[in-house]
Amino acid sequence: MNLCQQNANSKEAKMHNSCQLEKEFINKWVQGLQICNSSSKKMNLLERKKKIKLSADIAIASAKNLTTSWSKAIISEATKDEQNMTLVKNVCGPESKFMYAHQKVTSHKRTTSKKILKKCYGVHRKMKKMEPCRGSNLATCIAKRLVKKRTQVLKRLVPGGELMDEYSVIKEALDYILSLKVQVDVMKNLVNVTTSLS
Amino acid sequence: MQHCPYTTMNIPGNTVVTSGTDVSVFERQQARMKWQQQQQEGLFNGNDHQFRGLVEVKPDPGLQYGWPDFSDGCQGQAIPSLMEDHNLKKRKAHEDQKQKVVLKENSVKEKKIKGCSEENSAETSSKEKPKAVEGPKQEYIHVRARRGQATDSHSLAERVRREKISERMKYLQDLVPGCNKITGKAGMLDEIINYVQSLQKQVEFLSMKLATLQPRLDFDIDSLIMKEMFEVPAVAYSAEVANSAYFQVNSLLEMGNNPIDAMLRRSIGGPVSIPETFVVSSCFNQMQPGVTWDGDLHNLYRMEIQQESSTIPFQPHKFTGLYEGSNLKMEL
Repeated sequence: MNLCQQNANSKEAKMHNSCQLEKEFINKWVQGLQICNSSSKKMNLLERKKKIKLSADIAIASAKNLTTSWSKAIISEATKDEQNMTLVKNVCGPESKFMYAHQKVTSHKRTTSKKILKKCYGVHRKMKKMEPCRGSNLATCIAKRLVKKRTQVLKRLVPGGELMDEYSVIKEALDYILSLKVQVDVMKNLVNVTTSLS
Repeated sequence: MQHCPYTTMNIPGNTVVTSGTDVSVFERQQARMKWQQQQQEGLFNGNDHQFRGLVEVKPDPGLQYGWPDFSDGCQGQAIPSLMEDHNLKKRKAHEDQKQKVVLKENSVKEKKIKGCSEENSAETSSKEKPKAVEGPKQEYIHVRARRGQATDSHSLAERVRREKISERMKYLQDLVPGCNKITGKAGMLDEIINYVQSLQKQVEFLSMKLATLQPRLDFDIDSLIMKEMFEVPAVAYSAEVANSAYFQVNSLLEMGNNPIDAMLRRSIGGPVSIPETFVVSSCFNQMQPGVTWDGDLHNLYRMEIQQESSTIPFQPHKFTGLYEGSNLKMEL
């Protein structure tokens, strides 16, 4: 019975947390959209869509207050483009956080160049790995390779994932999934509201 | 489940483990050497179950947002009864979010449980060499080797790593729908990947939808309504439209009661292969109605493309109908 209570408690806590996140997200997103709108340029459908998505991403990332890697990655990705600077600045808030997110960019470049070098040697390593795999080992080898391939895919999916080791990627993916859910829920509701209003 | 207070005392029979997210192998080796000098080789259970006590340290933001009872969730799932008898220390995350983490390892295998429960009083178990490890201020993991397993530092580190990963996987089972039956890392990772992809596609799609609905990116009315709703729950609007929208938003946001929502949720379970992401993004740009793939959101996108070409404002009623149709297809 303790377990049941705890499960219920955890669900409530989760709901509460996600509600808070939703509120923050909505506020920041609307803020961002208003900033986009104030640029008063006529945008076609795709541009609008990009703006909406961008402001949503920045909003959800900043709602995390830069506590997670993926949020930092999103923001640093956004700041690469000069046009988005004002948007990011206003949505994110104080300068200090913003600057920290910016720093991530440089480390990313260094790691990517290292990764390129590693990939060149990766082929030889794979060949060597295959040789000792015999019999029962083969199954484990295959399983390991599957897992490895999938973690690579996951790394590509989660923003900022390529810089992290396997374990942190999973952790970040969890958090990212939660935030994506929040994003999707809010957007859906907004769509419904808009359609019902018009 | 027992809740043991966090402590770093030298209680005989308990081992204290601290861990940090940035543990270097060297530090670990150092710790282990030191630790091995202090005591003899022991055995204890390094099962997956055991390592549920392993807590993550401060930079664990996920904890703020929905993992508050990670330990409970995990332990609630498949925890064997033997764990109940142990003096497992609570996960740090469950109590507070400090830097240091204490993991208390308990002893050996199922047979030894009873012996272990008397750890505090007597160090009589021949297979158990318990001793607490000093060093609450240090950020590395002390791990004890299991019986019959390699004891060099690398394999221990490997094992710790693996345990961590398996713990996270278990939490993921809660999060990702339809993962209950899947065991093993590869399958779980597959599900996670699919889920993340589908969520990302949803976001793309919804932002496109919003863009079609709002010719000017002008969400002021809605934003006002929503803001008001959050700040002052019981605001009375004079406008009828605002009222109906208010109630709708209220109900939607609170209950999440939405046929589209439910449909989408159910549709997430289907696997979507990776190349399809490229197809999807190209759909928006090039509007190729000839795209055929078995994704569950396939019809969704097609509908959207058709809407774009005909420039009709999007109607949710049609949409729901389409979902009901696609829902049937999902069963295949």
